[in-house]
Amino acid sequence: MSSAAQKEISQIGGGQVGLSNFYLPEALTGTAKDIDGLFGMIVWIALVMFILVEALLVIFLIRYKRKHPDKHGKAIDGNTKAEVIWTLIPALILVFIGIYSTSMVYTIQEPPENVYEIKVTGMKWAWEFEYPNGAKSFNDLRIPEGENVLFKIYSKDVIHSFWIPEFRIKQDAVPGRETRFWVNADQLSGGENKYEKRVICAEYCGNQHSLMLADLQIMPAKEFTAWVDAELTRPKTDAQYVVQANGCTSCHTIDGGKSAGPTWKGLFGKKQIVNGQEVTVDEKYLEEAIVQPDAKTPEGYSTGMMPAFQMEPEAIKNVVEYIKSLQ
Amino acid sequence: METLAATGDVKRKSFFRDWILTVDHKKIGIMYALTSIIFFFFGGLAAILIRTQLALPDTQVLEPQQFNQAFTVHGTIMIFLWIIPMLTGAFGNYLVPIMIGAHDMAFPRMNALSFWLFLLGGLVLFVSFFVGAVPDVGWTAYPPYSIESQGAGLDFWITSVHILGLSSILAAINFIVSTWNMRTEGMTFNRMPLFVWANLVTSFIQLFGTPALAGAVTTLLLDRHFGTVFYNVQAGGDPMLYQHLFWFYSHPAVYVMIIPAMGIVSEILPVFARKPIFGYKAIAYSSIMIGLLGFMVWAHHMFVAGMQMTEGIPFMITSMIIAVPTSIKIFNWLATLWGGQIKYTTPMLFVSLGFLGLFTIGGLSGIMLGAVPLDLHLHDTYFVVAHFHYVVFGGSMTAIMAGMFFWFPKVTGRMYHEKFGQVAFWMYFIGTNLTFFPMHFIGMAGMPRRVFFYQPELTTLNQVATIGSFVIGIASLLLIANLVHAIFKGQKAVQNPWGAQTLEWTNASSPPTEFNFEEMPVVTSDPYQFGEKKDGKTLDDDGVTA
Repeated sequence: MSSAAQKEISQIGGGQVGLSNFYLPEALTGTAKDIDGLFGMIVWIALVMFILVEALLVIFLIRYKRKHPDKHGKAIDGNTKAEVIWTLIPALILVFIGIYSTSMVYTIQEPPENVYEIKVTGMKWAWEFEYPNGAKSFNDLRIPEGENVLFKIYSKDVIHSFWIPEFRIKQDAVPGRETRFWVNADQLSGGENKYEKRVICAEYCGNQHSLMLADLQIMPAKEFTAWVDAELTRPKTDAQYVVQANGCTSCHTIDGGKSAGPTWKGLFGKKQIVNGQEVTVDEKYLEEAIVQPDAKTPEGYSTGMMPAFQMEPEAIKNVVEYIKSLQ
Repeated sequence: METLAATGDVKRKSFFRDWILTVDHKKIGIMYALTSIIFFFFGGLAAILIRTQLALPDTQVLEPQQFNQAFTVHGTIMIFLWIIPMLTGAFGNYLVPIMIGAHDMAFPRMNALSFWLFLLGGLVLFVSFFVGAVPDVGWTAYPPYSIESQGAGLDFWITSVHILGLSSILAAINFIVSTWNMRTEGMTFNRMPLFVWANLVTSFIQLFGTPALAGAVTTLLLDRHFGTVFYNVQAGGDPMLYQHLFWFYSHPAVYVMIIPAMGIVSEILPVFARKPIFGYKAIAYSSIMIGLLGFMVWAHHMFVAGMQMTEGIPFMITSMIIAVPTSIKIFNWLATLWGGQIKYTTPMLFVSLGFLGLFTIGGLSGIMLGAVPLDLHLHDTYFVVAHFHYVVFGGSMTAIMAGMFFWFPKVTGRMYHEKFGQVAFWMYFIGTNLTFFPMHFIGMAGMPRRVFFYQPELTTLNQVATIGSFVIGIASLLLIANLVHAIFKGQKAVQNPWGAQTLEWTNASSPPTEFNFEEMPVVTSDPYQFGEKKDGKTLDDDGVTA
């Protein structure tokens, strides 16, 4: 491994991570630390087995290289004692790993009393987080530091998987089913509490699966309460929120990539062919496209693909401004 | 054969009669091999495309959908059209009858049908390329995503899986009946070559597992086109049913891909170590153990899929238990090398450093994934990709390569180029480690599988993997070139160039005649009679006590 790669890895999570920790990102919960402990233990057992097997293999290959073409090896076709030994020892090691892991599974599964519940919903291709007071955020998960948080995980469409590597846990978001796990998280080391694109979808869910990422913030309890209260009453007309809440990016990319609908990058000012006529995309066109998508469907797309959206004028204006900014 | 010729019953030879209408297990085996090698080429191409895209965190070599199609095609081809047909179809068909001293399989025409169904199944999958609807659902095709999948791509995929499954079931029945009934005089079960044992266990797995897969994909098809609601949550369906059915076949399918490979290893090691296989019975019976336990571990693919975490515990335990027969084999093979007289040939390098060295890594990472608490983090990451590639690439593939070189003189009557064979091995070995070892760390650091975009911090590790995949690509071309060249220009091979003791070497010419043996062989011992006996007597290369 090059030192450059180690340095790159060590930046993940802001903490000091490298080969000494098997490249695992910073562990932010007690459970994550326990899992790392088990991981370390199994890795060391595996390393010993690995070195044993590979060393014997290489030693035998070198030591017993044939020097005379007609020579034969020893006519030994087995040894019961040896075979019993190398059956029992791995079995005992595995029993040990099994028992140790089993007791841990119960600890991880049972949430403590007094948990703060956050409802997590996966959809193509965004994460929605709903807090107990009814506030919602999109692709922006915030949790209070040092409190027991229980995630209840749902899906709106297909199977997703809610994964935060720093917590060492993922659970699939399965339609028609509630899955859950709980955490009690510390802040990231290094004073930073915001972690971009660290809530990851780990179950393949279609075209934009790779980009189904959300930010994670672990906030001091007071700050968190203030934020979650403000979030409930805040007028929800800013473009980011509107775009996420209406799932626009399910069909429109913002980076020029192909999807079901036209990309927003460079859309403003572009010339589109509509019913054989050239039309320039301006504010009016975009506003109409949101409220009445089938009015002027450009060539290459069919009507009926996009639902008509009812929004406050302020929200529409902000989204149009947002699209304008994507040049 | 003389008698047949004497009665004038031999029809005029033609390509059509010789190959298309053939029911000869050897020719069917060769056709399986050639067909699956062609499919392997496409599967490898898809892999190279995937790695090229991932050389940089956000390149757009492929559109997102093309990327998704690439990994779907890669997985499907490599599993259903390359490794399984190569191991059971090609090696199984060619070797099993001749190794047990039979003229052919028990049902030669059914055997031909298996091959033609396999070809048909492969072509149906490839039709999807030409109608522009390549499936993009992953080789697992989990609903409800797969049900919503647009276009006919998935329907072709389902049809293809059905046809391939039928082919597997027919072949499995054929192998079981042949092995049970067609063994020559003296060929008791405990004298069968270990490849035959492996193939027998594999056939039982195919026979019992494949129907579950057929059920799984049938429900997909019904949901897509006939209004059933197996996976429609609004109507009370449950997507997890599919996963249970799918893995009930697809985990045993992993053993379908590895047990015959282990059989090949058990054939080649004693020949070049000039020692009897160590613990014949332990190796043979541990295959049976793996085959049985293989049906009890499927839900370890589903620890985070919506089961209660504690529901995973029984499956964790069975997964741990299955590591025991596997490690028994590893230690028995090592003990076979101990005190041997080892000759470094291409097949020997592939099974020793190649299979033993690489498969061990895949086995050990499997223990980590089998532990529920670790799987919570590692599931669906590149760690899993690393793990199963060490098993199926480091394991199955190296055994296939070893087998191709080992039996090449038998099948073609020619010798391959030894030096270039060894060069190809080293490139393979280095390429495999470059490609798949960094993936452990990529996964642990937080990169999920099946993504075309990743954090820029992981660029270096990903680039190492991409370079490794190119090395493997070049090695594969070199290897195929070596064998193709040898078919036409290779030295003529003698009947038994390796001094092996199984019937295909000792009692059949290279290549074997139409009915394998001039005289039915009679077997008096197990097939690994190598080595210096304690009384000082030695065996020469023909297995005769000197």
